Amino acid sequence: MTLHPLIQSLLDDECTIADLPPELRPEGERLLRLMRLMGGEHIMVSQQVEQRVMAVLRERAARRRSLWAWLSTPLQLRMQVRPWLLGVALAGIAGVTIIVARRPQTPAAVVAPSPVEAVVRFVFYAPDAHHVAVAGSFNDWSPGAAPLARLDGGIWAITLALRPGQHQYAFVVDGQRWVADPGAPTVDDGFGRRNSVLAIDRPVAAL
Amino acid sequence: MKSLLALAVVAALPAAAQVPVAERLRDAPPAVRRAVDSMVVLAVARGLPAEPLILKAVEGTAKQAPPERVIAALGALFDRLGTSVAALHAGGLMSPAPGDIEAGAFALSAGLDSSAVAALTRNGARTNAAEATLRVGATLRAMGVPAAEVLDLVSRALRDGQPPGQLAALPAQVQAAIARGATPAAAAAGAARGQRGGGRPPEPPGRGRPPDRGPPPRR
Repeated sequence: MTLHPLIQSLLDDECTIADLPPELRPEGERLLRLMRLMGGEHIMVSQQVEQRVMAVLRERAARRRSLWAWLSTPLQLRMQVRPWLLGVALAGIAGVTIIVARRPQTPAAVVAPSPVEAVVRFVFYAPDAHHVAVAGSFNDWSPGAAPLARLDGGIWAITLALRPGQHQYAFVVDGQRWVADPGAPTVDDGFGRRNSVLAIDRPVAAL
Repeated sequence: MKSLLALAVVAALPAAAQVPVAERLRDAPPAVRRAVDSMVVLAVARGLPAEPLILKAVEGTAKQAPPERVIAALGALFDRLGTSVAALHAGGLMSPAPGDIEAGAFALSAGLDSSAVAALTRNGARTNAAEATLRVGATLRAMGVPAAEVLDLVSRALRDGQPPGQLAALPAQVQAAIARGATPAAAAAGAARGQRGGGRPPEPPGRGRPPDRGPPPRR
């Protein structure tokens, strides 16, 4: 994994975030935050991934809150039942219970493990660019979802956590120009350009 | 009927893609949205995965391609998905999963023909790894390895009993040889010869690198 030497020093506790030049601080802060989350792994999750995860967590929390509110609110029931009808209903419930209890037991549902994300470092050389992002099938081709950080010597880089599988992607230079990765195989994108191809078959793709 | 198919579409989409389709295509021109709607319904009716079509429309919209070009690309992809199913059937995979179908379509777009896709399927199906085999074959073809060499390398690897993880490392081995100056065909032939000798440790697939300045410093 390629890191700016100053960010490397930060991660190694040899300096603080205040020692970094302003343009490196966002990346430094993100990496520190992620290191804490990942127990020391140097991983930067894209903003889109982070937003998706937080959206899911918020939705689940809201669902749990509303379910609890419904369960904990007292209900007032008023019923008028003829005794013979009540007897029939109870007999029916008992019958259904016996039938269900006698059915052969099926194994409990197996929860499939969620696919492990792999860490991939994208590096692009564009000394004259003002902004470079990577867009691909992993972020719904959003040109703004994964901006690369500018490093020394015209090198741009970002590390993303991606799901295993086949991904296609391209670099978006200055928000306009779609450029295939010169270091990866490409395929026709159907729109007159080329997409780079990235295959992730292992949990971690170290570079 | 249409609502049932729409439900089937949602069920067929992978969990990660279950952001509402309308939201993903909010920036698409109306003609593209209509084309996606009808093609997705048709795809589900024919047992084809819908997600690649939606993703292609999203991609075309992001790249600001003209609507007619996006619709043409969708049509071509739809055809490839259908051809992929036929090739998978010819390779002996009678009930392909969506991933198998996508991998076959990707192999076709990378430059392999349907007979090569069928042959890769036949090889991969023996080890229950049709999808991985197709993706590796397609990636090798995308690197410029001729189809015959792709088939030879992959079938040799599978015959030698390589596990899917090592099979997936083949493109990296070939790419490393290409980076050292070998032609794609020679690189594939070298990797095929290395099958028996053990070969050098695999490297991951290629990533962007600055040209003419050597690799960036590694950690």
